Amino acid sequence: MPSRPSSAGKDTLTFDSFVFAPAKIKRIVTESPKVKSFYLEYRGKTPRPGQFFMAWLPGQEEVPMSVSDFGEGFIRISVANEGQTTANFHKLTNGKKLFLRGPFGNGFSFDAKSFLIVGGGYGAAPLIYAAKNIIRSRGKCVYLIGAKNKSELLFVKEARKLGVKVEIATEDGSAGYQGPATELMEIILKKEKFGSVITCGPERMMYKVVSLSVKRGIKIQASLERYMKCGFGVCGSCVLDPIGLRVCSDGPVFDGAILLKTEFGKRKRVASGAKVKI
Amino acid sequence: MILKTKLSKLELRNPTILASGILCNGPLLKRAAEGGAGAVVTKTVTKEIREGYSTPILIGVEGGLINAVGLANPGYENYIVEDLPIAKEGKVPVVVSAGGSTSQEFREICIRAEEAGAKAVELNLSCPHVKKHGLQLGGDPTIVKEIVKDLKGALKIPVFTKLGLSDNIGTSAMAAQEAGTDAIVAINAIKSMAIDVDARKPILSYGYGGLSGPAIHPVAVRCVHELRQKLTVPIVGCGGVTDWRTAVEFLIAGASAVQLGSAIAIRGIGVFKEIEEGIKNYLKSNGFKSLKEIIGCMDR
Repeated sequence: MPSRPSSAGKDTLTFDSFVFAPAKIKRIVTESPKVKSFYLEYRGKTPRPGQFFMAWLPGQEEVPMSVSDFGEGFIRISVANEGQTTANFHKLTNGKKLFLRGPFGNGFSFDAKSFLIVGGGYGAAPLIYAAKNIIRSRGKCVYLIGAKNKSELLFVKEARKLGVKVEIATEDGSAGYQGPATELMEIILKKEKFGSVITCGPERMMYKVVSLSVKRGIKIQASLERYMKCGFGVCGSCVLDPIGLRVCSDGPVFDGAILLKTEFGKRKRVASGAKVKI
Repeated sequence: MILKTKLSKLELRNPTILASGILCNGPLLKRAAEGGAGAVVTKTVTKEIREGYSTPILIGVEGGLINAVGLANPGYENYIVEDLPIAKEGKVPVVVSAGGSTSQEFREICIRAEEAGAKAVELNLSCPHVKKHGLQLGGDPTIVKEIVKDLKGALKIPVFTKLGLSDNIGTSAMAAQEAGTDAIVAINAIKSMAIDVDARKPILSYGYGGLSGPAIHPVAVRCVHELRQKLTVPIVGCGGVTDWRTAVEFLIAGASAVQLGSAIAIRGIGVFKEIEEGIKNYLKSNGFKSLKEIIGCMDR
């Protein structure tokens, strides 16, 4: 499959591309104590795995949400209860509306035959949609998912149902390998060869995944999370210093070798634009 | 083809300037320069660190964008240390946009900006969505005069005054000129509102915001044209520049350069180069040898 260009800067964008549209909640699934998936009515453009929507609940903030699944008439977002806004998302019930704009960003490119997917915590959301895409185009993939404990592992059953081999790492050893996902990744890489690694999760974990992959000469793509004010490349909030990549529109998926030239894994910007340590 | 233009002492390789509040950070200002901008204006920096308003802060509407960012910035000192040096690597003039509520604040920021290598300062007397800042100052000619005069005595680099749409834009611009401003930038985003009919609520968290983009272009062209009749200082046209045609319109109306921002949302950072090429072709096919020939040509 060819790699996909970024959505930013294309002639097809108009100012209408940045308008919110209401999306009715069709179904809510509790994935883990912290994460709920929302199936939302959607008839827009097909999102590529790795792309995201800005989701807004009137009266609250809008937040970037990766697509965790897409099908006829719906998209799915999987929301971790991590703050006031997402706590309010969790209170929503079937039939209520969320407001969406997007899809934004570039998405993963699938230019390999075999993939090692490395997810940590709720970073699994875009990865399960990526796994679905890989399987549908007859690629091979392993879904390595890490979490604090068994109850917080995401999309394990779903991955198995897709026919993907699942590898599990938990910090407390309540399921699978006891230890960080990156340790299990090293073990797997010693046994098996992959054309490409894709990862999403806590930034420190991803930094390790990227470093390990680059060291071994494996192509690696990481999907980043940053504080975003607009989501479509104008405000600059989500910039990766010092080379000036915007996570929202130049990413959120980046080639790992490029990320290592930035402050990825080290510093990020907050709402004021000031930098803080990760 | 000579596309150079001058704003007082400041010479630009082409007349396209990144407007303040777009892209904002040092590395992205550098990218705008690499994308062809003739100069770049920083995020408006203030004395204190400002988080800005909560999201949504920027939305699309028919013909443009509405923003209410709330002057988010890390404070001028922080910005000058972290962002200005990288912005300067773009090798085009970096103009520091200053925001404040008193002359003293503007003076403090601008002096520091000059020390740090800013090629000019732009006074934000036009932001439409922060109380006691921007338009609330710029709409009052007496205050404009006081702030500009105070700065002119303290700085060597050019001082640009960015004004917004108000009944007083003409008198405020005259006041700035009398106080010694080196150029007028007109206009800023226009105070506006968008309501989500499904939610029955304002979309922006602040409620009101500033409208920019094609929707305000004819208003901005009119302002520039009127100001050109009154003023002798150079004018920078701002509002709805998305292609060479909208840029040339400002130049014909009397602007020596143009600023743009919203266009980046739909055309990407390379929009500066596209416009530069477009202006070149326009000049060539109409038999002009330099940009200067069309600046204000309609009324000559």
